[in-house]
Amino acid sequence: MKNISKKIYLALIILFLYLPIFVLIVASFNDSKILGNWDGFTLNWYRELFDNASIMNALKTTLILALLASIIATVLGTLACLTISKMKKSTRTIIMSITNIPMLNAEIVTALAFMLLFVGLGISLSFSTVLIAHVTFCIPYVVLNVMPKVSQMDNNMYEAALDLGATPFQAFYKVTIPEIMPGVLSGFLMSFTMSLDDFIITHFTRGSGIDTLSTKIYTSVRKGIQPEMYALSTILFVTVFVLLFLVNYGPSTKAKKSVTTFVFKSKMRVAMVTAVVLIFGVVGYFALKDDKNYIGDLYVYNWGEYIDPEVIELFEEETGYKVHYEEFETNEEMYAIIAKGARSYDVICPSDYMVEKMIQNELLAEIDYSNVPNLQYIGEQYMTSAEGFDPGNKYCVPYTWGTVGIMYNKTMVDDEVNSWSILFDEKYEGQILMQASVRDAYCVALSYLGYSINTLDEDELKEATDLLISQKPIVQAYVIDQVRDKMIKNAAALAVIYSGEAIYMQEENPNLEYVVPDEGSNVWIDGWVIPKDCQNKEAAEAWINFMCDPEIALMNFEYITYSTPNEASRELIEDEAIRNSQIAFPDDAVLSRCHVYNYLGKEGDELYDYYWTMVGGASSE
Amino acid sequence: MGNKLIDLQGISKSYGKHMVLDDLNLYIRENEFLTLLGPSGCGKTTTLRIIGGFESPDTGRVVFDGQDITNLPPNKRHLNTVFQKYALFTHMTIAENIAFGLKIKGKSKAYIDDKIKYALKLVNLDGFENRMADSLSGGQQQRIAIARAIVNEPKVLLLDEPLGALDLKLRQDMQYELIRLKNELGITFVFVTHDQEEALTMSDTIVVMNQGYIQQVGTPENIYNEPENAFVADFIGDSNIIPGTMIEDELVEFLGTKFKCVDKGFGNNKPVDVVIRPEDVELVTPDKGTIKGVVTHLIFKGVHYEMEVMANGYEWLVQSTKMSPVGTEVGIKVDPFNIQIMNKPESEDEEAVGVDE
Amino acid sequence: MNKARRKNALLASPYIVWIAAFIIIPLLFIGYYGFTDREGNFTWENITTIVRPEYYNALGLSLLLAVISTVICLLLAYPLAYILRNMNMSKQGFIVFVFILPMWMNFLLRTYAWQAILDINGVLDHFLAMFGITDFNIINTPAAIVIGMVYDFLPFMVLPIYNVLVKIDDNVINAARDLGANFWQTLFKIILPLSKPGIASGIIMVFVPALTTFVISDILGGGKLLLIGNLVENKVKADNLNLGAGLSLVLMIFIIINMLFSNGDDTDVNTVKKEVKK
Repeated sequence: MKNISKKIYLALIILFLYLPIFVLIVASFNDSKILGNWDGFTLNWYRELFDNASIMNALKTTLILALLASIIATVLGTLACLTISKMKKSTRTIIMSITNIPMLNAEIVTALAFMLLFVGLGISLSFSTVLIAHVTFCIPYVVLNVMPKVSQMDNNMYEAALDLGATPFQAFYKVTIPEIMPGVLSGFLMSFTMSLDDFIITHFTRGSGIDTLSTKIYTSVRKGIQPEMYALSTILFVTVFVLLFLVNYGPSTKAKKSVTTFVFKSKMRVAMVTAVVLIFGVVGYFALKDDKNYIGDLYVYNWGEYIDPEVIELFEEETGYKVHYEEFETNEEMYAIIAKGARSYDVICPSDYMVEKMIQNELLAEIDYSNVPNLQYIGEQYMTSAEGFDPGNKYCVPYTWGTVGIMYNKTMVDDEVNSWSILFDEKYEGQILMQASVRDAYCVALSYLGYSINTLDEDELKEATDLLISQKPIVQAYVIDQVRDKMIKNAAALAVIYSGEAIYMQEENPNLEYVVPDEGSNVWIDGWVIPKDCQNKEAAEAWINFMCDPEIALMNFEYITYSTPNEASRELIEDEAIRNSQIAFPDDAVLSRCHVYNYLGKEGDELYDYYWTMVGGASSE
Repeated sequence: MGNKLIDLQGISKSYGKHMVLDDLNLYIRENEFLTLLGPSGCGKTTTLRIIGGFESPDTGRVVFDGQDITNLPPNKRHLNTVFQKYALFTHMTIAENIAFGLKIKGKSKAYIDDKIKYALKLVNLDGFENRMADSLSGGQQQRIAIARAIVNEPKVLLLDEPLGALDLKLRQDMQYELIRLKNELGITFVFVTHDQEEALTMSDTIVVMNQGYIQQVGTPENIYNEPENAFVADFIGDSNIIPGTMIEDELVEFLGTKFKCVDKGFGNNKPVDVVIRPEDVELVTPDKGTIKGVVTHLIFKGVHYEMEVMANGYEWLVQSTKMSPVGTEVGIKVDPFNIQIMNKPESEDEEAVGVDE
Repeated sequence: MNKARRKNALLASPYIVWIAAFIIIPLLFIGYYGFTDREGNFTWENITTIVRPEYYNALGLSLLLAVISTVICLLLAYPLAYILRNMNMSKQGFIVFVFILPMWMNFLLRTYAWQAILDINGVLDHFLAMFGITDFNIINTPAAIVIGMVYDFLPFMVLPIYNVLVKIDDNVINAARDLGANFWQTLFKIILPLSKPGIASGIIMVFVPALTTFVISDILGGGKLLLIGNLVENKVKADNLNLGAGLSLVLMIFIIINMLFSNGDDTDVNTVKKEVKK
């Protein structure tokens, strides 16, 4: 009886541990892109995985980073063990305590410390900075494994080797190294695993164009992970599982009945080494497939899920530039990176007010329009609007535009939706999704209160803040891109979204409807700009020109469903309903009550951040 | 010595396919110092653990003082164990260690303090109350383990190779100590060891075990002088074990020579094993010996010399206070009284039970 | 002798330079940024910001959730480690293997999978609906964050405890039983006190990451629940590195307190980490 309850307990824990893994494995065979929505069996994601350049690139970066970091950490750490062990006890204790700091400290603090070091010294973030950070946090694990071997080692062995005529180098190489080898290997493997799995430190120290699997997943978590990622994880997981299983339970003549922990561990080691070799074989194969007509690099920084991936490939094929494509979630996050000079990009896609801010802070370079002949396809009225934040149209070429409004589910909302007030109605407690970015959240509150969405009046802001705080208990979540999945899954009734999302969401769930409330809202333009510290302006302009190509703009429109300012492209839309859609291309009545965001100045930004943090910290009870 | 206190009836135990004990029957009398002796893996520790209640037998019964205790958990049995590596509670002081069992039983503080004093005195460690267990030497820890067990006034004390981890001198001291303790306490000791000297020194009764079977039960003298089979003979002390033939009662032939002996009843012309202890081999001048040989090895052992003598194709082990240099021709003589005859194992199964280690 | 020592110091120098440059100096940078404003003038403000309600609420919530998660981890892990300890060797290998294996799937993905499980109309809802239970919503609540933390950090509690438990000699437990203690008495008087070092390591290793996480609260808290880790990350994102550093300094105080409180013996944590990442 007692045994049965033990087994049940074990089974429950194992279920708890493996449930998410099971969900992910199922998702890799799920036709739907939405995790947890079963749409039928498919093997497509596995097929597409190997063609997904960004995932394969991230995999490559992850593995090369892990390999380099663990090799360097192993060499340094082993050297450290061999020398520290001969030092005075007090010195040894001090060095060991310092060594262990990265292991015991909170990861976010270590990560921030590295970031401050690099930013403070004016070193721009790159692959090397991530590598340095990884080496540093891997070293303690090497020392941890090697130190016991070194202190166990009989010093007489080294002396015996000398006594038998070996030179110190020979003695070291033939006696010391083999003796500590098991520890060195374990240290290497542990470093490899740690580096492979790290997210936070990489997130804070990576340079432009460096995406590991972890950071790739994190930036895409908000908007729905590409299902190819599930396929890749499933492959990695199953590989490790099978290897470990074979090693532990495969036919073995040597294995006695009592498998000692040591045997277990050393076998694990063999398994891990095999796994590493195997994985590298695969990556090596795909790495060789790369680079045909390469003429240079282009670093692109864009919103998440804001381009048809095929467009990138077409661009690479046509121009020969290798595109390093990275994504951001909010204007503010992007700005922080650019302003610090932490990473440099060649072409970026910020929103209107952020363009204004970047112009004022002299972060942008003027675009040479002779390199952008396709500009002719952009509608005149959009260029005029853009003058509001980019006087003279010197810096920015519009890419998408749209409004901010409410999306609601007709089956779950029975009131008429034409006012922001519905977002403050307690009837819909737990059904409301708000935007997690400052300006959009305040746009809702300020519009509702009848104030300007660009206000700097503290009383108005305070009132808006109180309103947002009072709303917090009925809000289900503050989201960015995941609003899509949630609304499609009927997981919420009302959401603040950008008009561009609406068309796609309606296709997936016909019960959804989009309105721009009567009180007015925001109309926005996102456009391409070139930062001052751009390394390859020619490539950046080629990119912008390519984006203005009507065919390409159409591909993007169909993929991301955000309204295009490209008139020629709009004419190419086959579906008449969409070409004339009030959501994608609203009439003047709607536009007349919408306003653009202005850059509010440094003080204005800090004011908004101050109040927004208050909303964030407020209780949601 | 008194009545049967513990009676093991038909005990079998196996781990997976490995049979550790096979139909073992054994009784232990009150006030007896009984030793389970055998090589590692012979089942002696398992037997002890079954008595202690840490293992339950697959078949058979454990009867204690007339009561079946086979399924009784260890905390309900009236016996205590001294474990191989002492198993002291390292997070407690010596006093707390000793008090552990008494506190569990809810004894009064005065009683417990009294007992601690008494027990520490008994094991010659007065004043150690407040030391931590792991600050003591091996021998001291050993005594504490004993003290911790005996304060509970068990009827039987089980000792699982308690002296194994001690050095030679300490081990010998502890042997006398244990005998003294047993006499003072007047309880039953069941002692497990693989050290034949330890067994011979302390026991009233020795049970020699091998591969899950009892090989012989008897007094130390009995076991030493009259081993019942080659395993026992080989395991207890050094022996010359020589295959031979029993010609008739009181006459045995081995190494091509007939020797007089005192054993009877083996039948005529039966194959037997002949056991002769090395100290019973007399070296004489060649003409006076029953057979002749040449000394091939010589070692000084302190009390005596140990020599190997090649004679009639057999290398005899000889212990003597008189030295014969290597190469000396000698004669070998054995007193008929010192020739021990044993039956040869008849079946293969029986052989498996025999010499193996 | 002196020469040998000098040679040794020479060989050690790359490593010492490395840890000085990449462990000590970055921490000094945190201190520098934490005590200065954007213009580089000294200020206490980044530290004292913590007394503003939205900040200490976040810190308070983080501490509370970290404590709850740590306690739940301990309560789940101890019996588990005990059961694992008592299994026979070959099975033990299997179980440890089963237990480490999930770590090979990216932890962000696993946390995201929890979102899909706990979400409204998610996997769990569909399952519960089969039993007629509806309206079971814990996504975007502290409970969801606690589940995420317990899930992610449970192995860090189980393995250290398991490691001390296997080192306890069977005979010590037998001795307690032999001296008359029943199962519970043996557990509380012998096994629990002897496994203290493992429990302490487990607490250190669960509490610190739980206190400072921002990923789990991000994914499972729906942006409604700000933890101190989220605030640090937000400040970095909003380009306010000084405030981020100041908050990190506050965090480090709690990390150090936790280590002192748990009597963090380095060697213990070391062996633990080692086992965890096998």
